[in-house]
Amino acid sequence: MSGAGGTSKGAAAALMAPALLVVAIVFLAPLVRLFAMSFEAKAGPMATYLEVLGDPIYRHVFVNTFVVSATVTVVAIAIAYPTAFALTRIGPAWRTLLFACVLFPLWISVLVRTFSWMLLLERNGPINRALVGSGLIDQPLSLLFNRTGVLIGMVQVLLPYAVLPIYAAVLRIDPALIRASEGLGASRLRTFLSVLLPLSMRGVATAATFVFLLALGFFITPALLGGPASMTLSMLIDSLVNERLDWPLAAAASMVLMVAALIVVGLAGRFVSVRAIAEAHR
Amino acid sequence: MLTRRRLLSIGAAGLAAGPAFLAGRAAAQGRPLTFCSWGGALSELEKTALLDPFAKAKGIEIAHASPTNYAKIKSMVEAGAPEWDIVDVGGRFVTQGKDLLEPLDMSLIPNAKALDPGWVTPKGIFTSTGATVIAWNTNAFPADKGPKSWKDFWDVKAFPGARGLYKQFYYNYEAALLAAGVARKDVFPVTDDKIKLAFDKLREIKPHVKVWWNAGAQPPQLLSSGELAMSSAWSGRILAGIKEKAPIAMTYEDGIAWGNAWVVLKGTPHLKACMEAINYAISEEAQSRLLDAGTYGPALGAASAKASEAQRKVLVTAPENAKNMLILDEEQAAAYSAKYEADWNRFQLGG
Repeated sequence: MSGAGGTSKGAAAALMAPALLVVAIVFLAPLVRLFAMSFEAKAGPMATYLEVLGDPIYRHVFVNTFVVSATVTVVAIAIAYPTAFALTRIGPAWRTLLFACVLFPLWISVLVRTFSWMLLLERNGPINRALVGSGLIDQPLSLLFNRTGVLIGMVQVLLPYAVLPIYAAVLRIDPALIRASEGLGASRLRTFLSVLLPLSMRGVATAATFVFLLALGFFITPALLGGPASMTLSMLIDSLVNERLDWPLAAAASMVLMVAALIVVGLAGRFVSVRAIAEAHR
Repeated sequence: MLTRRRLLSIGAAGLAAGPAFLAGRAAAQGRPLTFCSWGGALSELEKTALLDPFAKAKGIEIAHASPTNYAKIKSMVEAGAPEWDIVDVGGRFVTQGKDLLEPLDMSLIPNAKALDPGWVTPKGIFTSTGATVIAWNTNAFPADKGPKSWKDFWDVKAFPGARGLYKQFYYNYEAALLAAGVARKDVFPVTDDKIKLAFDKLREIKPHVKVWWNAGAQPPQLLSSGELAMSSAWSGRILAGIKEKAPIAMTYEDGIAWGNAWVVLKGTPHLKACMEAINYAISEEAQSRLLDAGTYGPALGAASAKASEAQRKVLVTAPENAKNMLILDEEQAAAYSAKYEADWNRFQLGG
């Protein structure tokens, strides 16, 4: 930040201008148009919102979206926490390797990864063949086109977003605190529970916010791995746009999704600062 | 000579005509006549049998796109700049999307007179025929011991295994009524009682439906991999899969027959060429080529009549196949799909 001190506010504004312009043209303007469109239903200006919020089938979709997102968040954090912790405790060679394993999936398109999961989770796919072949189960498990498939796929895709903030938080903990705890006679478990865990909670909160927000609007993975009963909001919006051609209703559903996401950000803001997110990605 | 004054006057005329005019002109200069269809076996067939020879004879280029997407049609036409000119749509869209379509200029489509009148509408002409049929994985049931009716499709004791059905209400309304024992001739006209019966029947099979497919490529793929034991499917996709030795089979028994309608999007810069292309597509010369492919059949009776013994086996319109099928009433299907859309969505989501 010391470098920025010498720059005048005018110069800073000039530097920001291209980015702000792009955001205004490709994000804010369409958003305003979308907002306006949500009131353009033939049945009256508020009809779309009444339908989206009042109809039990849409409520079912909302609930499912939140349940799926929350489950994905919990599972991803449960896997990410030990991984992130291990990353701070191993030698540089292993750390490089493990980091590559965490980051590598980010370089592969979500579509490719989701299709790979379809092949793996098929009724006669490798996972089921291995399970049946080893005698663990008699009949192949139903892993595809239901919530199980959606959870497996989404957790895998979103895992790096959970690992990185937690890793950054654990890394920032002063090793002297751990030595002090051990020096005072605390067991390893005690040190973990009383020192490490509380100090890494901010990283966990950041990770949870990231994963939950991304999961809320996730489309490709639930659309390809899920079934009709596991419909999420993004799938509903897609079907309203592409199949039912009801764009005002789709716009209203999008607005509701956005407000829901903003509420999550607002609540998370009590625990997570924007700065922590920036730091996590440094 | 082009003077500054003249340039300005041309510019003003262009502006007066509005953005649609400008977009249309730019498009006409910028891109070839573009045809969009559903992809897979159908797109391939339409390109090689119905369009390539026309393009060659006329000395023009025809570009191909897929899949057909009603939302995209709506947005492109409303923006005044369609990227597609001729589109193969489901028969329903001829009614449902009529405001987005150019009326067909029958003086440029004289071949339409030879078609069965049912295949010719003011804004769309049917150029090929197919059916929604019962298809299955041959490892689950041997090719000759497969299901023979929608009653069999609903019979999960005699034919166990995961099912696939289409994501929309159409095809399913017809299949459910036939499974419930309604005679083919009584499926239409649609009544509230029949709709209720269809929903009740569909609720019965729903726990066994693993996939509600929406792309034609899904049933052959999901059946081949064994993910599904049995599914409704578009006939041409299954016939194409069988030719590639996929472990799948189908029957025309209890099939739901339909046609593929071609429409012209409003605002096309290639209006005349579109009409001529449609006229060629329904000529006897073009229609006869459909027989060789053995996937989707001709719409023209005169072409179907020339089918060989082997070709007749897979021909939708061959009398021995057609007699066991229901003809989909596209107008009624469009109407009930719209009327009961909310109920259908509720049903799909578990209500």
